[in-house]
Amino acid sequence: MDERKKEVKIKREDGKVVTLEELFEGKKKARKELAKLPFEEKIKILVELQKIAYSWGNKKDVIIWKI
Amino acid sequence: MKNVLEVMNNLKEKGLIKDYAIGGAIATLKWTEPFFTRDLEIFVIPKKEVAENEILVLTDIYDYLKFRGYDKWVGQWIIIEGIPVEFIPAQGLEEDAVKNAVEVEYEGVKTKVITPEYLIATFLKTSREKDKIKIQMLLEQAEVDIGKLEEILTKYGLIKEFRDFYERWMKEKKK
Repeated sequence: MDERKKEVKIKREDGKVVTLEELFEGKKKARKELAKLPFEEKIKILVELQKIAYSWGNKKDVIIWKI
Repeated sequence: MKNVLEVMNNLKEKGLIKDYAIGGAIATLKWTEPFFTRDLEIFVIPKKEVAENEILVLTDIYDYLKFRGYDKWVGQWIIIEGIPVEFIPAQGLEEDAVKNAVEVEYEGVKTKVITPEYLIATFLKTSREKDKIKIQMLLEQAEVDIGKLEEILTKYGLIKEFRDFYERWMKEKKK
């Protein structure tokens, strides 16, 4: 079978149908956008990630930064 | 975080260190998307020149921090203003990285952050799995000056390591 015919397609929330490749490409773009955030914003996000790791991830040795 | 940077600037102003720059994961995060990390790594150029086989001590820094009331340790980290900090003495590649770090402001406080090119070189040197992931993130998301990177890798004999790493990464990507 032609590889392209086997290609998985996903229907997004906005109704748009995309291939897996397009989905990953979109995620790559989103990451590049996040990379442009101000340093201070990124540190705030980091603290949120530390909170998640501490509570949901049950990593009780994580020190949640005081910023 | 702002308070830690003020403490670092004090150390520099008092001549207890020559210079410093944020390195490791937090420096990476400056140039990439945010991700989870536990500590703040700070590369420090000590005030005293150190000979090759001499043991490097950061006693002056720790004495000053103790005097300021920062004497709580958790593993390898000293807790400054609620943030686990690790000091890494900068020599050779790391010293160059500090000297060439860029000045940035964090909530109005001036500080220095190691550039993507030097970060890639330092991560390549340590080459743990988590370091390799950071190299990939930097190459994909940060604006890396390839000419400068090549220059650094050549100077510190890391070109082969970089090529091997890059080849393996590209092979994995194709799978």
